[in-house]
Amino acid sequence: MAAPSVSCGAAVPYRLFLAGRVSFAREQGLWKAAASGLQTGTRCQILRLKHSPAVTTTKNVAALRRESYTVDFIKKQIEEFNIGKRHLANMMGEDPETFTQEDVDRAITYLFPSGLFEKRARPIMKHPEEIFPKQRAVQWGEDGRPFHFLFYTGKQSYYSLMHEAYGKVLHAEERQDQLRAKGLFSEKSKSKDLIGSRWLIKEELEEMLVEKLSDQDYAQFIRLLERLSALPCDAAEEEFVGRFRRTVTVQSKKHLIEPLQYDEQGMAFSTGQGKRKTANAEAVVYGHGSGKIEINGVDYLLYFPVTQDREQLMFPFHFLDRLGKHDVTCTVSGGGRSSQAGAIRLAMSRALCSFITEDEVEWMRQGPGFPGGSDGK
Amino acid sequence: MRGDGWGEGSPNRAFIMFRLLQGKVLFFTSLSLDYFHLKHSACAKQSLLLEYTVKILKLCGLTQVRWSRYGPEYQDPQIDKEYYRKPLAQLTEEETYERELRKTQVIKAAPATKTSSVFEDPVISKFTNMMMKGGNKILARSLMTQTLEAVKRKQFEKYHAASAEEQATVERNPYTIFHQALKNCEPVIGLVPILKGGHFYQVPVPLAERRRRFLAMKWMITECREKKPRRMLMPEKLSQELLEAFCNRGPVIKRKHDMHKMAEANRALAHYRWW
Repeated sequence: MAAPSVSCGAAVPYRLFLAGRVSFAREQGLWKAAASGLQTGTRCQILRLKHSPAVTTTKNVAALRRESYTVDFIKKQIEEFNIGKRHLANMMGEDPETFTQEDVDRAITYLFPSGLFEKRARPIMKHPEEIFPKQRAVQWGEDGRPFHFLFYTGKQSYYSLMHEAYGKVLHAEERQDQLRAKGLFSEKSKSKDLIGSRWLIKEELEEMLVEKLSDQDYAQFIRLLERLSALPCDAAEEEFVGRFRRTVTVQSKKHLIEPLQYDEQGMAFSTGQGKRKTANAEAVVYGHGSGKIEINGVDYLLYFPVTQDREQLMFPFHFLDRLGKHDVTCTVSGGGRSSQAGAIRLAMSRALCSFITEDEVEWMRQGPGFPGGSDGK
Repeated sequence: MRGDGWGEGSPNRAFIMFRLLQGKVLFFTSLSLDYFHLKHSACAKQSLLLEYTVKILKLCGLTQVRWSRYGPEYQDPQIDKEYYRKPLAQLTEEETYERELRKTQVIKAAPATKTSSVFEDPVISKFTNMMMKGGNKILARSLMTQTLEAVKRKQFEKYHAASAEEQATVERNPYTIFHQALKNCEPVIGLVPILKGGHFYQVPVPLAERRRRFLAMKWMITECREKKPRRMLMPEKLSQELLEAFCNRGPVIKRKHDMHKMAEANRALAHYRWW
């Protein structure tokens, strides 16, 4: 008899069926043996013989290997995770209802401090969805016939998706031809948010389909989607294409611009911090001034005798046409002469953000470069 | 590792430069690693990519020369002020599209050698870097400024010594002299050693723009370093050579002509080139 093992879904009846077929065949063998006039002794021997009928005991090794994480198992893991999260919250003295994943991570690093350099080897406690890779349930029924008509292509979800997309393309082209025939066709205006979103990357698509893809498959799919989006689409097709687009953030939004502060004399000023290699700088830019820059209490001409460094200090102001309009006081430590100049440049750019319009902030980001992209090495 | 092979168009490509330990050959390669599941974060993937590329390179006996900590999605900065000051109404469709696109891209920081200053010249910067020895940029830059000053002084002397008609023809701007001199030194065609039948043949080959500029600068610097009289300083010698090259005479121009003559002489071998 096949040993009872953990199984899921359609595989359960399959296994029992296996066992059933084996025993049935064995009975047939017994009957045959009896009919041939063998004695009881040899009947016992026959019982001990391994009977392997052709059809049923062919094991699908691939399917068995993939069945390691069943649906019930995952569900149990999720329950355990949730209960464990509540226990952890209690242990840390926090409210179990509002215990987020970041709190969990912090608690784990506190309770299990690890000195391992490899971050992925340190103890983690994450939702089972993130730990156990997504797997598909068995794709065929009891009789061994697959459910999906494209199963034998090897990449059924991918090819069915391509099939669907191509169907939509044909449909859209047909509609376009009909419109042209009626004379109602107008050039499609590119109203779609082409820039604010991007196509899925290959890894995201693989995760979505739970299937491995090659680069050529991915490229083919993206080309088909682009072809579809170039045609006049109705709402269903737009929604279909929208499923494969992800929004892209506007980079300048990532940096918060602080409002101006005012000191006792009523002079507007703003602070900024900057780092480059191992140099750290903090700059205070005053609203009105004559272009004087003071670094660690020393004038910039004395602190940076090299022209290149002074050019770097001048860069943000010259870029915004504000040379000689601001006064700067800054402190810097660490690094060498060039990295200190770079750190001060970054600190000044950040401080200047409060004095300029958003457009200029964006220009500064794309030109000299700063927040986000430029904690440069 | 999954056996997907080296794929095209992957976001996880590392462009790295490496050189053979034995020789001076420097070339690019690109390796991409698509094997990692999405559950690894982007920075983990980058670091894994770097690790594996380093290990593979060490296996082949190659060491990585230049490290850039920026990922492939980082774009180069646009430092030109005029680009941003252009009013939106004057932009074409492609330019507006490009502007919108850049808003979503991450940009690298401008390097320490580039500014928006009007005095900055990319050709001068490149020449200064080529003159630099051992990372002594301060010395290289001061030599460069002294050279330009020497050129200017000589031209002013000539100007004051010349008659009224000739004064109009005397060029006094050292930057124009520098650019024109280097342009005059650029060879049009170059020679490349090609191995055929066990022998190396010098085959005439068209040169790319950047290769021409590089050769002009390289010849100028080598000439000044090697053929300098003992007590003469570099700025003086370099200013002499620049002025001579500006007038299309001098040893660097002669070297360019020699190169052209060799190419003309070897023109029968031109069919050895396959690109």
